[in-house]
Amino acid sequence: MSTPSERRLQKELMSMLKEPPTGMEVDTAVMEHNDLHTWHVRLTGAAGTLYEGENFKLQFKFSPKYPFDSPEVTFTGDNIPLHPHVYSNGHICLSILTDDWSPALSVQAVCLSIISMLSSSKEKKRPPDDALYVKTCSKNPKKTKWWYHDDTV
Amino acid sequence: MASSSSTASTEEASTSQPEKKEETKQKKEDDGEESDKESDEKMFECNICLDTAKDAVVSYCGHLFCWPCLYQWLETRPNRQSCPVCKAAISRDKCIPLYGRGGSGKDPRSKIPPRPPPTRTEQTDNGRFSWGSNEGNGGFHMSFGIGAFPFGFFASAFNFGAPGTAPAGANFMTPQQIEEQEFLSKVFIWVALIFIVWLMLA
Repeated sequence: MSTPSERRLQKELMSMLKEPPTGMEVDTAVMEHNDLHTWHVRLTGAAGTLYEGENFKLQFKFSPKYPFDSPEVTFTGDNIPLHPHVYSNGHICLSILTDDWSPALSVQAVCLSIISMLSSSKEKKRPPDDALYVKTCSKNPKKTKWWYHDDTV
Repeated sequence: MASSSSTASTEEASTSQPEKKEETKQKKEDDGEESDKESDEKMFECNICLDTAKDAVVSYCGHLFCWPCLYQWLETRPNRQSCPVCKAAISRDKCIPLYGRGGSGKDPRSKIPPRPPPTRTEQTDNGRFSWGSNEGNGGFHMSFGIGAFPFGFFASAFNFGAPGTAPAGANFMTPQQIEEQEFLSKVFIWVALIFIVWLMLA
């Protein structure tokens, strides 16, 4: 409860529990012994989109350098959304998770971005290089050299 | 894209708050005062640590930070420093210290040692013969003066340094670099001489 990174995570958690934003819910069961370095957030697909009513689970891992260093964010659990920027191992191709990260972003902002990314999808399909990527990638998506080329989805 | 939409929504929320505040005040005075206090506190929170800003500075784009927080962010990405909130260009000199009534009145930016001055220089636009502009490096103008095709080729083929870095390096070369340059100039003089001899014989 003393490092700046933990203080900030505590503040974010408090505000998300106090005023839960639509479509996201922090699963506090994972944070045993007040370990704030791993979060699980339940996402609900937005109404009127391809993912309406579906539930997903996001895993956040924070390094001690958070918020200067971006969190490691992956989908986890049984239901990985079928989306052109989401690989079947849960890795997400989203620029704010690496290059465009800013310390003013938060768990809530990242969740909102991901819900928005899902919402703008017009087709439920995996990325074209899914099979190859999943076979060859590192466990940590931040070690992937992502190539952000598709702004439409 | 999605990130900007999130910040936009928070801004919208903050701008619509005053209206809400007035409504709540009319209905329930106590509640209104409480939410007033809360939003007042949030007004002066650092956008990075989410605590009340200490040693506060504000960027030209109007965003408030603790200087230690902003400094750490600027150090994290020294090559492309941007405002964490709106991504506007930002730097140490492009932020203003804020002095409240209680503070020490000292410039917060002086507390952390200023970062070392950048050594990066802009690329200068000199084409293939980049050594030609390094006056005082000796030798090269003469051998190139013949202006024949092969020399143009050599100039580009043996130009080891990147064209942008070569002129900058000329101002403060290490002894090793000077040695290399001298060696290269000797090689070129010999090549030139051989070429002249060949021209005369042919």
